[in-house]
Amino acid sequence: MQLSTQEMDGGITRVELDGRMDIAGAAAVDLKMNLIAGSAKKLLIDLEKLTFLGSMGLRSIVLPARAVLSKGGKVVIYAPTEMVESVLKASNIDSLLPIHHDLAAATAALQ
Amino acid sequence: MNPTALLAETMPAEETVKPVSRLTLKSQLEDMAALWPWVEAIVAEHAISPDTAFAIHLCLEEAISNVIRHGYSGQPGHSLTVDYASYASPNAHELVFMIEDQAPPFDPLDPSLIEELPAPAPEDFLRPGGRGILLMRRFASSIAYQRLENSDGGGNRLTIGFVLPH
Repeated sequence: MQLSTQEMDGGITRVELDGRMDIAGAAAVDLKMNLIAGSAKKLLIDLEKLTFLGSMGLRSIVLPARAVLSKGGKVVIYAPTEMVESVLKASNIDSLLPIHHDLAAATAALQ
Repeated sequence: MNPTALLAETMPAEETVKPVSRLTLKSQLEDMAALWPWVEAIVAEHAISPDTAFAIHLCLEEAISNVIRHGYSGQPGHSLTVDYASYASPNAHELVFMIEDQAPPFDPLDPSLIEELPAPAPEDFLRPGGRGILLMRRFASSIAYQRLENSDGGGNRLTIGFVLPH
């Protein structure tokens, strides 16, 4: 499981999750996700390279995202694969974190 | 009754029952690192599609982590087993997984644990069952719970089936 970050125009922090967010994957990124959530105000969570997402992985996305939202920030999910998106929707996460497949739309939603 | 016999008994006689493969895990989340390689071998053996492999991994991870976190209350020193069998008939091919533990009664399908919540709250992911059960119901073809009673104090059995597309 890999996590990389990129600062984009408009004060957007892009976090790319690459690999399997199973229990081991979630544990590997938990600390860094929380650190990012502590400073980011506009968070774009890029799931294009995420090949698996389980309920522990969901938790590792939702808890930091809520931390950003609770301080008035914005969070969007970008480009999940079909199966990852179905996990997000079955969990009703999309009602909290909008899902976008177009990068321009995703960044516009953060402004 | 051993798992193979039980699974065989529940299936029509004309179907083919392949040998069961067992995964044994300790009651600690770190031990779950062994789950994916085990699933991967089954996926390769049956040429299972990536989407079905995803669904199997998702449901087993949820079921096993429930046993460790809630059935055994996170206490190490216990174990659980996952058995698997493949059934092929002219009309369908199904993989069945059976998770057994020796924990106190814990039915993850208990309706009181399953609530339709309007928006996810962080605590939803810490409760027994909850959203994880919704995920299992969404991604498995079938799911059933059974309390086991025996001289060792009993345990729990969760059976999860996946019908493979032809």
